[in-house]
Amino acid sequence: MREIIERVIPSKLKWYDALYVAGRSQPVSFKNNRLYSISESESSGFGIRVNLNGKTGFSHTNSLDNISETVKRALQMSSFGDSESFNLPDNTTRSFEPYCAEIEKFNIHDEIDGAEKIIDDIKSIYPQISIDLGISSAQSEVRLINSTGVDQSYRESHYGFSISCTYIMPDGSRIETWESRSELKPVDCSELKDILIKKIENGLTVEKIESQSYPVLFPPQAFGRLIGFIASGFNGVSVWKGISPFADMKGEKIFSESFTMIDDPLIEGSPYNIPFDGEGLPVSKNFLIRDGVIETFINDLKYAERLNIKPTGNAYRGYSSLPSPSFHGIRIKPGENSFEDIISTIDKGVLAEQFIGLGQSNTITGDFSANLALAYLIENGKIKGRVKDCMISGNIIDLMKGEFTLSKDVERKGSSLLPYCLFPAVSITA
Amino acid sequence: MNEKYKKAVDVGRKILESSSCDYAEIRLSSSVATLISLSGENVDSFTLSESVAGSVRVLVNGSWGFATFNDLSALEKFYANALNSASLLNPTEKSVVAKYKSVNGKFKTEVLRDFMKITPDEKFELTKRYNNILKNSKSVQSTRVIYRDVKTEYTNINSEGSILSFDKSYCGISLASIAKAGSVIQPFHESVSAYSGFEVVENRESLAEEVVKRAVDLLDAEPVSGGTYNIIADPKLCGVFIHEAFGHMSEADFIYENPKMKDIMIIGKEFGPSTLNVYDDGTLNRLAGYIPFDDEGILPTKIPLIKDGLLSGRLHSRETAAKMDEEVTGNGRAIGVTRQPIVRMTNTYVDNGEYSKDDIFASMDDGLYAVDVIGGQTNLEMFTFTAGYGYLIKNGKPTKMLRDIVLTGNVFNTLKNIEMIGNDRELFGGLGGCGKGGQSPLPVSFGGPHVKIRDVLIGGKR
Repeated sequence: MREIIERVIPSKLKWYDALYVAGRSQPVSFKNNRLYSISESESSGFGIRVNLNGKTGFSHTNSLDNISETVKRALQMSSFGDSESFNLPDNTTRSFEPYCAEIEKFNIHDEIDGAEKIIDDIKSIYPQISIDLGISSAQSEVRLINSTGVDQSYRESHYGFSISCTYIMPDGSRIETWESRSELKPVDCSELKDILIKKIENGLTVEKIESQSYPVLFPPQAFGRLIGFIASGFNGVSVWKGISPFADMKGEKIFSESFTMIDDPLIEGSPYNIPFDGEGLPVSKNFLIRDGVIETFINDLKYAERLNIKPTGNAYRGYSSLPSPSFHGIRIKPGENSFEDIISTIDKGVLAEQFIGLGQSNTITGDFSANLALAYLIENGKIKGRVKDCMISGNIIDLMKGEFTLSKDVERKGSSLLPYCLFPAVSITA
Repeated sequence: MNEKYKKAVDVGRKILESSSCDYAEIRLSSSVATLISLSGENVDSFTLSESVAGSVRVLVNGSWGFATFNDLSALEKFYANALNSASLLNPTEKSVVAKYKSVNGKFKTEVLRDFMKITPDEKFELTKRYNNILKNSKSVQSTRVIYRDVKTEYTNINSEGSILSFDKSYCGISLASIAKAGSVIQPFHESVSAYSGFEVVENRESLAEEVVKRAVDLLDAEPVSGGTYNIIADPKLCGVFIHEAFGHMSEADFIYENPKMKDIMIIGKEFGPSTLNVYDDGTLNRLAGYIPFDDEGILPTKIPLIKDGLLSGRLHSRETAAKMDEEVTGNGRAIGVTRQPIVRMTNTYVDNGEYSKDDIFASMDDGLYAVDVIGGQTNLEMFTFTAGYGYLIKNGKPTKMLRDIVLTGNVFNTLKNIEMIGNDRELFGGLGGCGKGGQSPLPVSFGGPHVKIRDVLIGGKR
């Protein structure tokens, strides 16, 4: 690959780096309680970034016999690019691979048997339910090479399991709920059925709710979606563009001191960990917010240069895109109380699991306003029934400045590790 | 079309001629694309790229096998893989597909100015010109312009003998200004796209001017108070409303496997006022949801979903049509050849009613005019749709500007609350699209006239 590239590039080129990705996966899907399809996917691609006369050009292809044409296109386009004068790393090391050899033990027959058992178990309680279920095993190879001598690669393995239940009442009202896991290797996911069964059971009766502010408890997944609005303001790109609400606030304490948010590249068991970033820089743990104080904005080489700050090693790229800063894994420092302790303190409140339309507000400033797709009324410390046909609205930045309670229980959802969070007053419109 | 691609099409035809599957299809695509992304003073990206991809989908003894790849030279191997996958299954209930006539057709986007013949310099200059307009206010903190064109050779062949190809040109632009005053940050964005040449993105200066004006105006707008409102939706918001509040409900995959839904979605059931007519029409050339044929090789049709207020049709893939014993409609769509077709909308709209926009405004003493769109979502019972901005209406006139307008409703009731339907229908596309089953964005268009709807719940502080 290096040979083909270097045959085409001019001697005055400042630098180049190229990413090659190849992978295969085997997804199995169940639709409406029955095995539906088995797929096999293979894909690969190549992308190259060049810096010619101080300007950056990029192109990509997935026809691997067209690499020299692709390099030529990247060179051609560099005249339009931004001026960038940073240098690429010359020594990229790999401390681990986000790969587990046990992915090879993925056995499609066993997986199908396990999935059918889960479906039968849920159906034995709710015969009318419709269950969709997806299982996939994937492996890939990522290889980064650059003009300063780096040629480093790693393998990735990924096992994904997702299950979604739809329960429709005679009046057409529905409970739709899902759970999923992403792991490095095949794991037993049968405990997800108990979570789903409980969520449905709790939603069978509907309770009335009046418009006003209530204590609202967000489970990790839901809390993570709101926290994501804050995290996006810690991306070097939005800081540099001046559209982050935190752009000029480094070192200031603007949040509650119980709020600590970390970008962690080594969350245990996460298949999203990477050994080096998309530009070959080492990854590291960074405090975005420490005890309420704004500490670090993440970046890649381009935005580290522009912001004149230390590179954080957060460049992410597929073969078909230029690197851009992204979080490794968001970790919120947990609290001291268990979920049970927290819920038992609520006289009358709401447990908000799932939303419709969340993220379609002005999320830059932390605003949210969404329909409560699945939420429960909490009365005297216990879940009493479902609340529906209502909206929840607020601003997550303001909420994290005030009073809240985080649980000591945490769950990994995707690449994030998150606790439950209770806010004393969030507006509900019914 | 390059030699390798042509060869793959020939190999695919031979494979399918001797295929003994219940049904088999091969889809191949080869595309070249331009992406320009500018923000503020930056060139975030100016990329020319290419991509090839293919898939084989087979139905064997009631089981689906599917293989995807980007190495078009090994089609036989991938066909064998798909057969092998299908044979691993021993389903309790068999999948079936509706049969369709063998269709041969070569389709091509009609273009006035072929973007393949336009120099990168000219594309760049146009994008920069819009970016300069978007920056043209002291209150603008940042901007974002995305220009995209994709030229795709797409071939869809199947075991019924159909050979279809679509030489498609898709082009669009997205324009955003982000205004800032103190701690208030307000983005506003508009996008246009079509199966078209470069002409669709030219002469959009006034659209860029509108975007920057709205973003700046929004800085002074107040957040809407939560509560129940009578609203007038503009044609674009009406389009997203009907897409979310009803369109997804008419996708038969949500209906056919669920006895409860079958009971609810009975043809002839009353869904709205007798003046309400809703269509999905993939034949509307050039629009973002236009398809000369769907991804299962079926020609599109204009489907009345609601006629005179009554449920009158639904959207089908081959599989849902067979299961429900109804005619195919040509709505089996995938976002690319490496994804399996599922039931999707194309161009979905509320048809014109009898009232002028003035009539509708004159009828409202107290309410809210909700304009433009940020997005929408449904779970097939409840839905939300978010307006770009809005105005309080007093005595038939728009007054104070409002922001943060997220509206919600219930799919079974809200359509019945439509009180007046205008006669100024428009349809809209954009570089975004619709998401379903992990496939996003799928190009669709949506629209309608101005409509008045009573008792719509809007979130917010009181």
